[in-house]
Amino acid sequence: MTLQTQTGKNSGKSVGADSKESPSNRFVRWLKSLRSLNLLLGVTSLGTILFVWEFASPLGIPGVKDVPPPSSVIVAAMDLLVSKQYWAGWGLSFQRIGIGFLIAQLIGIPLGLIMAINRFSFGTVFPIIELLRPIPPVAWIPISIVFWPTREQSVVFIVFLGAFWIVLLNTIGGASQIDRKFKLSALSLGSTPKDLFWKIIFPATIPSIVTGMAVGMGISWEMVVASEMIAGDTGLGYLLWQSFQIGAISHVIVCMFSIGMAGYFSSALIRALGGLATPWRRLH
Amino acid sequence: MAEIGKLSIRHAGKIYDPEGIHVVALEDVSLEIKANEFCVVVGPSGCGKTTLLNTIAGFDQLTGGDISMDGNLLASPGKKLLPGPDRMVVFQHGALFPWKTVMWNITCGPLKQGHMNLAEATEKARELLAQVGLQGIEGQFPEALSGGQKRRVEIIRALMNDPKVLLLDEPFRALDALTKSVVQEHLLELFDFSPKTIFFITHDLEEAIFLADRVAVMTTRPGTIKKIVAVDIPRPRDYRVLTSDRFLELKAELGDAIYEEAQKAFEAGERELA
Repeated sequence: MTLQTQTGKNSGKSVGADSKESPSNRFVRWLKSLRSLNLLLGVTSLGTILFVWEFASPLGIPGVKDVPPPSSVIVAAMDLLVSKQYWAGWGLSFQRIGIGFLIAQLIGIPLGLIMAINRFSFGTVFPIIELLRPIPPVAWIPISIVFWPTREQSVVFIVFLGAFWIVLLNTIGGASQIDRKFKLSALSLGSTPKDLFWKIIFPATIPSIVTGMAVGMGISWEMVVASEMIAGDTGLGYLLWQSFQIGAISHVIVCMFSIGMAGYFSSALIRALGGLATPWRRLH
Repeated sequence: MAEIGKLSIRHAGKIYDPEGIHVVALEDVSLEIKANEFCVVVGPSGCGKTTLLNTIAGFDQLTGGDISMDGNLLASPGKKLLPGPDRMVVFQHGALFPWKTVMWNITCGPLKQGHMNLAEATEKARELLAQVGLQGIEGQFPEALSGGQKRRVEIIRALMNDPKVLLLDEPFRALDALTKSVVQEHLLELFDFSPKTIFFITHDLEEAIFLADRVAVMTTRPGTIKKIVAVDIPRPRDYRVLTSDRFLELKAELGDAIYEEAQKAFEAGERELA
């Protein structure tokens, strides 16, 4: 109610204030008022959820009554923020993501490009991919523990799998959908096969590779958490599981939000790198 | 000046999928294009105009007859396809490399072929860009340009290679009428400034007459040459030509031939759909 009357007043003011204002200026102001409205809505809904959550457990609503309220989550966060194990968890999870994700790119991108331009390699490798790809990376965890000498390596391997398929398929898809006219005009301009690869096929595939990396990064985080829970003895996923085992549910919730933030930072990094690698697309 | 860029198309034929659905795209097409002649081919959609252009460019193989330029065989059945900078193509929907700047796009040909060094190529590119009213865009990516600007840049990219023949495949199709007339005049300016053999495809009759020395009308599938009309309107031409008596006479003469083919193409299309 208050909200509505307030915005009503605002918009009335901005239209009536000065009729000589240029249309573009008025548009910008309208946009700004919309943004502050959205901010207000967002704060209100978040506040409502926190309020309900805080006071729901004493009411004994099933499902919610065992979840610690925000106040005790904040206390747990204070607790964790000064603990060494928590920050070591961040570092180790990021390290596993970094290594597994990087290896996935280093193998997936070249392999995808080769498969897209060479029919023989496509025919050889694609059936293997189609056989293995439908297996969810989590299902690989036991075999991975058996196969790799250390737990660390098996966790990195699962992270690798999470990112590998998606970047491989995106690279193949991107490189095989390049418009024929680009290759033809490059040939007319005197391109050698090497030029065709480095000046046409590779740059034309970068946007698909970046998309693959962004999706792959998300899956990598899912995988690092799952495999740390099952096979790890460090990392944010392990900390989450260990907190659960000792019944420290507030700590579990802090770990959940921490992993969410870690994933968000990683995606932001990929987006930034993707933007640097595709300057011609920044116009869109 | 030596005769450079004389094209001979003799009994050219092209059949797609001879063992399967057997589509005859070109049948006994013969056309002589003189050096530095602006030749425009008009015809209904799907008549094989683009196929003909692609075989000249070395993108597509002939299944009958042959094509040669200045006495050198370019295409005949079984001949290895060789596109090259002597026959530059400007594509229907444009083929500027989106991931490279305008300057890179324009200079890559002569740099690759070693005709110019970077300084020479850059200077030549600036000169040509200025000639078509496009100063100061060299650092941009193609996507930042308007449709008309892109077409001009692409024509310049082709001209930078000093091709013997310039092949244009409905280059102005996607432009609005006003932009189109401006870009057409720029093309004529470039042509008058340094004449070159031009093979230009369109289905816009007015565009054909406005630009051409000779207009060749193609029949609907199987494509063959139906009629060739010389456009005796003196150069340089500008938009006022479009309302001159001679222009209207030529338009009427060619219009009948094209309408007939368009009608046939339409009926054939109806049959295929039925």
